[in-house]
Amino acid sequence: MSKDNKEIGTIDLLRVFARGLLIQASWSFERMQSLGFAYAIEPVLRKLYPVQAEYESRLKLHMGYFNTQPYLASFILGAVVRLEQDRALGIKTDADVQGLKSSLMAPLGALGDSFFWGSFKPLVAVTAAALVMTGSWWAPLLFLVLYNIGHLGLRVSVLFRGYETGGDAVDLMARYRFTSWARLFKVTSLAVLGGLLGMMPLWRTEFRNEGAMPGIIEALAGMMIVLVLVEILRRGGSPVKVMLGLAAVCLVLAYGGVI
Amino acid sequence: MILSIVGIAIIGGLIGLDRTAVGQFMISQPIVAGPMMGWVLGDMTAGLIIGATLELIWILDVPVGTFVPADSTISAVSATSIAALGNPGGAPLSVIGMCLLLTTAMTLATMKADGLIRQWNSRIVEGVEGVQGQQIRMRLTRAHLSGLVVFFLKSSVLYLIFVPTGIAALKIFHYMPENVHRAMSLFVKFLPLLGVALMVRRLSIKIIDLFMLSGFVTAAVMGQMFHAPASVVVLLTLAVGWFGARYREQG
Repeated sequence: MSKDNKEIGTIDLLRVFARGLLIQASWSFERMQSLGFAYAIEPVLRKLYPVQAEYESRLKLHMGYFNTQPYLASFILGAVVRLEQDRALGIKTDADVQGLKSSLMAPLGALGDSFFWGSFKPLVAVTAAALVMTGSWWAPLLFLVLYNIGHLGLRVSVLFRGYETGGDAVDLMARYRFTSWARLFKVTSLAVLGGLLGMMPLWRTEFRNEGAMPGIIEALAGMMIVLVLVEILRRGGSPVKVMLGLAAVCLVLAYGGVI
Repeated sequence: MILSIVGIAIIGGLIGLDRTAVGQFMISQPIVAGPMMGWVLGDMTAGLIIGATLELIWILDVPVGTFVPADSTISAVSATSIAALGNPGGAPLSVIGMCLLLTTAMTLATMKADGLIRQWNSRIVEGVEGVQGQQIRMRLTRAHLSGLVVFFLKSSVLYLIFVPTGIAALKIFHYMPENVHRAMSLFVKFLPLLGVALMVRRLSIKIIDLFMLSGFVTAAVMGQMFHAPASVVVLLTLAVGWFGARYREQG
């Protein structure tokens, strides 16, 4: 087999990226994203291993347990493509490929969960929610556009970075600074949440109590209620239990003639 | 009505794919799915209120490891659909409150259903492993993509149960005393505050966070004293948090 047939181009990587969008299509408790990983990398394996038996054994190898944050899975996919290419050329071994997958999936899972689910998404969502609460019907569209520019941009970028570096996690951390961005996004989310409370008198007309109390008092009352709820949640209240508790409080207030 | 419910099951099933199986483009987030369904069914306001409220409540309930969080997409789409179909022409705040209260009953069922689906998917993997020869590529593709059908059916079946049941519950609600309606109107107003509390609880180790306070003061001053437009106030609070955090990092 000539070396030329083992070249991986941008189109190959974009194909892996597109298939990687479906990495969780058959997510299961037992193997999690295993089939998704094999499905995403399959076109590259077909190209690198024209002998059926070898292709089959590589594909089955990638059906083993795999789980990470779905966006950062792109980095591992890029890196594994590179290592499979090197393996096909005789530079790397099976152990290198398996070692890379198993060493990266847990840390990148934790990193991705903390960055994407724990800070980036909340910041964009709370900004959109604040806009909706103050009457902007277009806020959901803004949420989708902002989130996907960030998410898809990063997802494509880390795939190519994974391929270029062969899975250098130190380079990934240094280049994208996920942890410091996460801190920044979390703190900014808190400021927007405070802003949402400060704007209570400006909330949608359905939520306004016109003339019931001065605006600033209403906002302060909202802040006090939030602080009480935070304390209740800290003592082990779940969202569902607190929702039911609030409904009960509202019924008591209504039947008590307070509202 | 039956056609509408079937339509909701199909559209909701497709939206639900975004949650786990396809891409995670966030179309399935309540703040998008709620208004989208509200727009389709002619009650965008209900969709916006339900979507924004459930977004704040469930945003930090995230899938980590094997933990399957409550399906806030099903809650948002069901609540909006029940409100829109149960009150053509625009649901009042009390009805929106009732629909949001109904979502508490859906939470456990959605988690159970998600768990069952993921157990079922384990069989898919086992089915492919034994295959050998030329068939393997086709079997892998077919098996993996069959997961999409499973996820779609899960959501669709739940909509076919939740939406008619919710509409029936809403009919009973219409006959309830005025006090119950007033209570539900107040309940809706409390829910965004609960959402804020849940986020503060997860994002900060302090009960009173300095950045939250600075956002509060900025919004109160700019919004109420200087009457700045709400979107400008939101941008200002973003800027306060952003630059405050950067200043703290550098300091």
